[in-house]
Amino acid sequence: MSANTIIEAHNLTVLYGRKPALWNVDFTLPEKEVIGIMGPNGSGKSTLLKSIMGVVQPTSGFTKVYDQELDTVRDRVSYVPQRQDIDWDFPASVWDVVSMGRFQKRGLFKKLTTEDKDIISESLEKANMLGFAKRQISQLSGGQQQRVFLARAIAQQGDLFLMDEPFAGVDIATEEMIVSLLKEMKDEGKTLVIVHHDLHTAQSYFDHLVLLNTRLVACGPTKDVFTDKFLTDTYGGKLTTIAKISQELENKEFPIRHK
Amino acid sequence: MNVWEHITTFFSVENYTLFVVSIGSGILCLAAGVVGTFTYLRKRALIGDVISHSVLPGVAIAFILTGVKNPVYFLLGAIISGLISIWIVDYVQTKSKLKPDSILALTLSVFFGIGVVLLTKVQHSGNAAQSGLDSFLFGKAASMSMLDVQLFSAIAIINVICIALFLRSFSIISFDENYAKGLGFNVRLIKGFLALLTVVTVAIGVQAVGVVLMAALLITPASGARFLTNSIRRMLIYSGIFGFASGIIGVFISYSGTGMPTGPWIVIVLSAFTLSAILLGKQRGVFARMKVRQNNHVKINNENVLKDIYKLADKGLKTITTKELIDKEKHQPKKLKSTLARLEKLDYVDLVRGMVILSDKGRIAAREVIRKHRLWEIYLSKYFQLDADHLHDDAEGIEHIITPEIEKYLIKLLERPETDPHQSEIPY
Repeated sequence: MSANTIIEAHNLTVLYGRKPALWNVDFTLPEKEVIGIMGPNGSGKSTLLKSIMGVVQPTSGFTKVYDQELDTVRDRVSYVPQRQDIDWDFPASVWDVVSMGRFQKRGLFKKLTTEDKDIISESLEKANMLGFAKRQISQLSGGQQQRVFLARAIAQQGDLFLMDEPFAGVDIATEEMIVSLLKEMKDEGKTLVIVHHDLHTAQSYFDHLVLLNTRLVACGPTKDVFTDKFLTDTYGGKLTTIAKISQELENKEFPIRHK
Repeated sequence: MNVWEHITTFFSVENYTLFVVSIGSGILCLAAGVVGTFTYLRKRALIGDVISHSVLPGVAIAFILTGVKNPVYFLLGAIISGLISIWIVDYVQTKSKLKPDSILALTLSVFFGIGVVLLTKVQHSGNAAQSGLDSFLFGKAASMSMLDVQLFSAIAIINVICIALFLRSFSIISFDENYAKGLGFNVRLIKGFLALLTVVTVAIGVQAVGVVLMAALLITPASGARFLTNSIRRMLIYSGIFGFASGIIGVFISYSGTGMPTGPWIVIVLSAFTLSAILLGKQRGVFARMKVRQNNHVKINNENVLKDIYKLADKGLKTITTKELIDKEKHQPKKLKSTLARLEKLDYVDLVRGMVILSDKGRIAAREVIRKHRLWEIYLSKYFQLDADHLHDDAEGIEHIITPEIEKYLIKLLERPETDPHQSEIPY
C-alpha cells in the first residue's frame, strides 16, 4: 500500500440476503484527487460508499480509511447520501439540515456554538444557498436540495468527501456550480469520491476511476481505465454472467460465504 | 345543569378524583402526542396499532403469573410484549421478503389473538380479581384509580423530558438515518430508545383509551400539527397541546353525560382538533390553499382583461368600450364588470361612461403579460420544435405563472429577442 493511499477496500463482499451487492472488491484510492465510481444500475456503487461509511456492514473483507478503522478517523470523512433516499417533506429548514453537519463535533446534546454557526453560514455560502437558509426544505428544487446536502457535508470540515450521485436530477446550473465547487475543494487538498452515472462527463470530472459491476472491473487513473475494453466489461453483456449467478444464489438460497 | 355549573363542579375540590383523572388523561395524551410525532415523521403510523394490540398478551400473562391486579405488573408485562412485537416486525423485515404492511398486519393479529385467548382463559379461571381486565380492550379512563393516575403521569412526564433531551438524536434518525450512521452515531441504540419510549407510552395509554383507540392518540395530534408548522419543535409542542387539551375535554364531556365513554370522547375531541388544523393551517391548510387558488384566479382575470384592453389600444382604437371587450374579445359581461371594477380600484384603468382607459400603471402591467406570453412562445418554438399554431394556447396559461426571475432567465437564454414566432414585437 503506497504512502498516499486514502481508502483501501480489501476483499470486500456485501450481501443483501443472499444476493451479492459487492463481490470480492479490492482496490486502493489515492488522496487529493477527484475519484469517480461508475457502473450500471444495481452494480453496487452506493453500497460501496455505504460500506466505507459503515452504514452497511460487509459480509466479509474490510475497508480502511487513512490506513485505519473508520471510527478513529470518522471526523475527517464527510458523507453525502443520495438525495432521493430522503423525504424532503420533513419539517426542517435549510439551516436545520446544514447544522446536522456540526453534530459530529458537538455530539447529540451540546448546543451549537457561535463558531459552529459561522461554519454553517460559510458552508451555505460556498454552496450558494445562504439566501435560502430559512427556506423550508420541502420548497426546494432538486438542485437546491443537492446543494443543501453539499453544504452539510462541507460544514463537517472533513478532508475526504464521499458523495452518492450528487449530479442525479439536478439542473445544468447546479451541475456547473457543483463542478466548480469540487475543483475548489480539490485545490484545497480534499479528496472527493463521487458515485456518478453519466459517461459523457466522466473524463472531464475525474482524475481516477473505479469501474464496478458487483465485482471490480477496473480501478486506476482515468486515462488508463476509461477505455473501450473496460467500459464494455462494465456496461456491456459480458458480465451478465455475474447477474445470472447472483439470481441463482438468491433463488436457490446458496451461500457464497460460509461462516 | 348548565354548562357553567358543569365546569365549576368539574373543577371543584369535592370532585378531586375527577380533576385528577382529567389531568392524568391529559398528561397521557400529551405524552402520546409528543412521542407519536416521531412515529408519524418516520412514517410508521401503523406501528402504533401493532404495539397497542400487542400489549394485550403481556397484560394477561402478568395477571396469570401474579394473580393480582397491580398496574405496575401490568405495565411491565405490556412493555415487554410490546417490545417483542416491535423486534419481531424489524427482524422479519430484514430476514424475509414479506412486504412491511403484511408484516405489521400479521404481527398485530397474532399478538391480539393470543391476548384475547389468554384474557378469556383468565376470565374463566374463577379468580375474582380478574373482573375489569377486559377494560384493556376499550379503556377505562373514568374509573382510573388515584394510584394509576399518579404512576401514569409520572412515567408520561419522564417520557416527555427524555424526548426534550434527545430531540436532536430523534430528529436526525427520523430525517436521514444513513447520514446519522455516517456521522458515527449509534443509530440502533437511538432507535431502540425511541421504540422503548413509544412502547411505554402505548402501554400506559392503553389503560386509558383501550387497545383499539390507542394508535389514534399517537398519530392524530402529529398529523394535525404538521399542517400548522414547518418546525419540528413547534410540531412537538402543538401535538402535546392537542393531546393534553383532548384528554381533559374528553374526560369532561364523558363526565357530563351519563354512561358516556371516556376514551372514544378523547379521540373524537382529538380528531376535531386535527380536522380544524387540516382546514385552517396557515400555509398547508385546506382553506389557505383554496385562498391561493382564488388569488391566482383573480390574477389571471385581471391580467387577461388588461392584456386585451392593451391589444385593442395597440390596434389603433382610441376609445375602448366595455361593449367592445365583450364583443371582440368574448369576455363574459358579468365577470368583466367585476374585474374592471377591481382594476379601477388598483389604478390600472379608469372607467368613464362605458369607456375603459388604461393608466400608465395598467400599460406597464399589460406589456409585462404580453412580453411573458411572447417570450414563452419563442422558448417553446426554439426548444420544443412546436409549430407556430401550437404555441398560443400554452402561452395563455404560462404568461401568468412566469416570475420576474424566470423572465430574466428567459430573456438571457433567448438573447433578448425582438419579435415572437408570429412576428409580433416583444414589448420590453
